[in-house]
Amino acid sequence: MRIKSGQDLLTGLLFIVVGGAGLWIGADYPMGTAQRPGTGVLPYILSWCLIGTGGLLWIKAMLAEGPGLTGWAWRPIIMITLATIAFALLIDQGGLVVAMLVSMTLAALGTPETRWREYTVFAVIMIVIAIAMFIKGLGMPIPIWPTQSADWIASGLELLRGR
Amino acid sequence: METGELLSNLALGFSVAVSLQNLFWCLMGAIIGTAIGVLPGVGPVATMALLLPATYFLPAEGALIMLAGIYYGAQYGGSTTAILVNLPGEASSVVTCLDGYQMARQGRAGPALAIAAIGSFFAGTVATVAIAVAAPPLTRLAQQFAPADYFSLMTLGLVFAIVLARGSIIKALGMVFLGMLLGLVGTDVNTGNTRFTFDIGDLFDGIGFVPLVMGVFGIAEIMANLTNSERRDLVSSKVSGLMPTKEDLKRSIAPILRGTFLGGLLGILPGGGAVLASFSAYTVEKKLSRTPEKFGTGMIEGVAGPESANNAAAQTSFIPMLTLGIPSNAVMAMMIGGMMIHGIVPGPQVMEQKPGLFWGMIVSMWFGNLMLVVLNLPLIGIWVRMLLVPYRLLAVAILFFCCIGVYSLNNSANEVLIIAFFGVVGYLFMKLDCEPAPLLMGFLLGPMMEVYMRRAMLLSRGDPLVFVQRPLSLSFLLIACLLLLFIVLPNVRKAREVAFSE
Repeated sequence: MRIKSGQDLLTGLLFIVVGGAGLWIGADYPMGTAQRPGTGVLPYILSWCLIGTGGLLWIKAMLAEGPGLTGWAWRPIIMITLATIAFALLIDQGGLVVAMLVSMTLAALGTPETRWREYTVFAVIMIVIAIAMFIKGLGMPIPIWPTQSADWIASGLELLRGR
Repeated sequence: METGELLSNLALGFSVAVSLQNLFWCLMGAIIGTAIGVLPGVGPVATMALLLPATYFLPAEGALIMLAGIYYGAQYGGSTTAILVNLPGEASSVVTCLDGYQMARQGRAGPALAIAAIGSFFAGTVATVAIAVAAPPLTRLAQQFAPADYFSLMTLGLVFAIVLARGSIIKALGMVFLGMLLGLVGTDVNTGNTRFTFDIGDLFDGIGFVPLVMGVFGIAEIMANLTNSERRDLVSSKVSGLMPTKEDLKRSIAPILRGTFLGGLLGILPGGGAVLASFSAYTVEKKLSRTPEKFGTGMIEGVAGPESANNAAAQTSFIPMLTLGIPSNAVMAMMIGGMMIHGIVPGPQVMEQKPGLFWGMIVSMWFGNLMLVVLNLPLIGIWVRMLLVPYRLLAVAILFFCCIGVYSLNNSANEVLIIAFFGVVGYLFMKLDCEPAPLLMGFLLGPMMEVYMRRAMLLSRGDPLVFVQRPLSLSFLLIACLLLLFIVLPNVRKAREVAFSE
């Protein structure tokens, strides 16, 4: 049979895979009694509902003409995801300035429209605002500069500041 | 008795809302809301999620007043962009583009903006009174709810979320189930067992609502927007002559009244809200007009109706949240999040236990609307200038604010990783044309439904018939079934498709 909507097919697949995983992982959750329903009751019901919905979508994908799949814009997806991950990895040890610089630059790489001179000015302004707002203003316990566990960077920065 | 009660309630609210501090937070909310409303690609949900952690430092009244202001402020701001740039600043102002931008091209941007603001203000005022009138009786009704009734009401809410979602009903149904499953991740409060945590410590408390929203709405939105190269045709001529003519006003009165009524009604429905309201109002105006063929060429009715409707709906959507503690859309879920941060459990007890907060918030909405009229009309030049900030820079800023916002919730870098994950998931949903709103509703209501289901089963000693034996519960379930049956009817489905495809 011909597939008439790639979009419906993939959505159905997503629902079935997640539902199946829910059943598989939730297989040993206790069901309890009718009076005291256990941990496993709702996961079991919902997983089956999700699989059923996915099945319906598969039938629909075979019967009804619908939209196909369109291409993904990989550049923004990858760069924005990397930018978010970089922020998460750097914020505790690297401090606000390093985390912001790395993640914002990665994000700027996500679009060919970035103009680097404009971006540099903007990034500096953002960092100044962020320090003023979140660390000085709201008193969030984030280091501005890298902490001791990354002291080679810190000592480099100290040198730069002329100490 | 009834009117006396109403007046004393409003007087109490007035005394809270008029304090200098609360007026300030109301103004802040209105300004932030207008700003993000003007900017396409930044919505009220992501903004509220972002500011949620910061509201921890504010008093509860101020925090909620500001959060509410962001929502209705965004409705005002969205129309400005729609009229001047032909870009909907918010989804709820998509239809305003049709006639508003045409008016602007004919040099009548001023009257279009003025009518949008006047209509919104009128709708906001009426909706504020509607909330004040509807809240006490609904609250009294809610106090008689048993666990089974709550369970069935939430089922009804989810069915509404499915029916009112754009696009495929089957997909919306799947998204609700998916959202409910996601909501179950973490420790089961009743038994202490963990579910779907993969032994990751950060998931023991469940997936946070804020990281989920920021990922699916904030991060995914940036990815999608960076893909489309932007084109903004700003109406270059200055906005001159704000005042609408007598003729404009005369033609707008009826659409404003109809829009307010329709929007107010649709706003109460779960999953409805401002977007649906503005679309329906436009359709109604076009149907009732003697010259429907002229719509899309700069008819003032096409601005007045939808703009009144979206503002009325934005406000009446507070009703289920305030009286029942049930969020009717993502924005109301953020409001609930704001309450929880301050240790307030949303539900019918709020009105009795915290009358100052409850009525203060309602009355502040009227003040907020007044501020918005004052803010928007004279300051229009400033808002328009904001549009000159290119998206390539905005994207970088939004990404940073999402990251730091989520990080500041618990000072946890791992929650930032969660938004990275849900960013990609959100993009996938966009590509698959799956609307995330039903997912969010399932995520929010799923765990609540499990709690009420268990309580109901315990009370009935394991008899599942309790859900159909209580009259309230039975009627909610019957309405839910009817709605589902109704939507499957072919001609209703066709009408729904037409309504959503503008």
